[in-house]
Amino acid sequence: MTGRRVGILIVALLFLGLPPRAARSNTSGSGKLSITAKLDPDQIAPGETATLTVEVQSEGLNLPDVPLPALSGVGVERAGTVQNFSILNGRVSRTSTTEYRLIPRGEGVVTIPPLRVAVGGDRAETAPLTLTVSHTVTPRAPAPLRGALPPGAAPAGTPEIFVKATVDHPRVYWNQQVTLRLRLYSRVDVIGDVDWKPPSTDGFWTEGLGPARQGRQIVNGKEYAVMEIPTALFPTRTGTLTIGSAQVRCRVARVIQPPDPWSMLAMPDVVPQDVSIHTDPIAVAVEPLPSGAPAGFGGAVGDFRLAFHVDSLTARAGEPAAARVTIAGTGNVATIRDPEIHARGASREYVVGTSTKVDRTGDRLAGQREHDVAFVADQPGTLEILPVHFAWFDPESRSYRSQSTESVIVKVLPGSGGEPRPGVVPGGLAAAAARRSSGPLGTLSLDPPAASAALLGSSIVAFAAAVLTGRTRRRRFRDPRTKRRLALEAILRHHLARASSLAGSREPARAAALAEQAVLSGTGLRYDVELLGLAKAERGEALRSRGASDGEVSAMESLLTALQAIAYAPPETRSSDAKHAIASARRSLERYRKEMET
Amino acid sequence: MRAHVLVAAFAFAASIGHAGTRAEAAALEGRVDAAVLYNAGTRALARGDTGPAVAFLLGAHRVDPRARDIRTNLAIARTRVEESEGSSARGEARVSSAVALSPAESWGAAAALAALGALLLWASAFRPGSRFFPLLGGAAFAAGILWAFGLALRAREEARHPQAVVVAPVLDVSPAPEERPLSPYLLAAGEEVRLGRARGDLVEVRIGGNSIGWTRRSGLWRVTDAARYTENSGSR
Repeated sequence: MTGRRVGILIVALLFLGLPPRAARSNTSGSGKLSITAKLDPDQIAPGETATLTVEVQSEGLNLPDVPLPALSGVGVERAGTVQNFSILNGRVSRTSTTEYRLIPRGEGVVTIPPLRVAVGGDRAETAPLTLTVSHTVTPRAPAPLRGALPPGAAPAGTPEIFVKATVDHPRVYWNQQVTLRLRLYSRVDVIGDVDWKPPSTDGFWTEGLGPARQGRQIVNGKEYAVMEIPTALFPTRTGTLTIGSAQVRCRVARVIQPPDPWSMLAMPDVVPQDVSIHTDPIAVAVEPLPSGAPAGFGGAVGDFRLAFHVDSLTARAGEPAAARVTIAGTGNVATIRDPEIHARGASREYVVGTSTKVDRTGDRLAGQREHDVAFVADQPGTLEILPVHFAWFDPESRSYRSQSTESVIVKVLPGSGGEPRPGVVPGGLAAAAARRSSGPLGTLSLDPPAASAALLGSSIVAFAAAVLTGRTRRRRFRDPRTKRRLALEAILRHHLARASSLAGSREPARAAALAEQAVLSGTGLRYDVELLGLAKAERGEALRSRGASDGEVSAMESLLTALQAIAYAPPETRSSDAKHAIASARRSLERYRKEMET
Repeated sequence: MRAHVLVAAFAFAASIGHAGTRAEAAALEGRVDAAVLYNAGTRALARGDTGPAVAFLLGAHRVDPRARDIRTNLAIARTRVEESEGSSARGEARVSSAVALSPAESWGAAAALAALGALLLWASAFRPGSRFFPLLGGAAFAAGILWAFGLALRAREEARHPQAVVVAPVLDVSPAPEERPLSPYLLAAGEEVRLGRARGDLVEVRIGGNSIGWTRRSGLWRVTDAARYTENSGSR
């Protein structure tokens, strides 16, 4: 094997030994998505905490959340998330930074597996991290508890356990911070967690100042373990406000000495005991802010600084120039009213966003508030961002203070694309040009036009009426009595009318025969019996069985006899008789019809 | 082709309810010219102002939904919005269907259909015997009423949760008016949402029938109000 071949083999083996880069890349192949993770510190003593910071950056608005996998033997608390976004050439990118507090429960090496994110087809992941927890690591000094009990607040004697609530300022201005400290003093071991029931703080805006702090203090000559929960309170109204009573419940281990101290076998007993103690209410006098507030004062109380930043001093026509105002300091930053930012020469302006970052690590609530505004000039020239003014009340100096920025000139260059283009999108679809003639008129509302509503309403009424009418008519036609009456009316309307016509046209025989048929049919309909084809005696019997009187039967038979006589008599002499008989038949049938109507 | 003829017939039926000359119609309050909205949207699109472009073109599309130029530019504007959001699926712009009626035309056609059904039923009530006319009338009336019911539901949804378009470059949405978002939901210019309750300068934002949080009202334009804005209207 030559030396060159050996070199190639070594290089190949080195490549094979390396982990695949794509699998461990913290940036996706397209470069649109990236994730980084940092552990600080990576070596701690038992009982200490480490901070894991995860930062995800993504092009576009889709920013995935990073689920932290369960870590055995480690408690994980999400400390907070800060998000930011930027717009460059109309494209948005977002960044999210999340902090986790890792609290190991014992010694050992904790491995944090790769954290993975995915947006669409883009994927990225971090490298695995390790956290070493060992007694050999020098523990960091605990945060000292500041402020002893004020004079008169210390309890009489040296109780084993007690709780105290104190405020740093019993008299404050409106919206000035009051720091409330709830402290649990104990000379006995506290078993398990302490259950804190916070006091009522009506009239205050409340902000917690981080997790509980631990320390030791000497009270009345005895050393106590102290647990403190600090809270920042901001009065939202003036007058005397009361902070209510806080309650603490915990379980302590009491040591009970044996009755005979000389007995060798008598060991002290440790008995768990539930304890419930509470603080006294505290009154805070809140004064209104002094008069003489400067113009633009929006109620900020504390100690603040104003900073102003413009992304670039040049911009192209049609593209945004972003300005950011940052107000940082101590005070209730979440309630600060954003200062007005305006520009001369801007065609449009947009509030891009507002964000608040709060720092709760100290005794004073601090933070910063950022307010972003984008200005767009459509024509080349200059864009003047006017001075920004911010005023606040400083309770330490008991005076109003203000700060202003200088105006900023942004040079607007011609647009990158020259004349505006409607544009072409992927797929070759070209935008349509502007119209030169007017288009159809219409309304943007989705409500019905009055004419349509009227037509619809009348249609509903007409439909309902048609349904009711049709139903009524159908019901009437289904009634047998009505059916017979209608058939009788048809006989009157057609057959007798035809018979009259024939009688008038000198055809009495046909007229009389037709009238005879009509009388038989009509009488049968009246009494609901079929008379056609029956002999005289059978007709009489059938009619009587259906309720006809003897007079009616004989009158009908007389009429039939007369009609039959006319039907078989010579035609030249019987025309007037036929008319007379047909008129009698019509009268009889009309009477029947009226009887059937009732 | 049949669909076009059907749409034209419905449009004609709808125009029955809109008698009057063009000048008279223009004088009526609340009537807007589709061409004016279309031109404003097209110029905003050319400037790269996707938010107002989508708002103006949506307004124009409501008035004249069959116009090819409006549908084309609206599709391009929506594609631009997807691009600015960083959507990974960057396909072709999809132009909406030409078989469409404006809200006023839809209402007119639904009313005409219901009226035709009522007329047929009246005819059948006085001409008993035939079962064809009652069935046809009932079907036409039911179709018209169902259509009108759908339109009424749409109008009610628009009244309760009006359609709006994000005009600010980016809008951050908070979970509640008093809350600072842990993981803010961001809306990009041109996104189409619906609005809910309002509180001060904040308004509830709804997407897909669900509330996603609260944001500044000034960063959104209601489509119904598109005609009130000028091309240089901004957002505060």
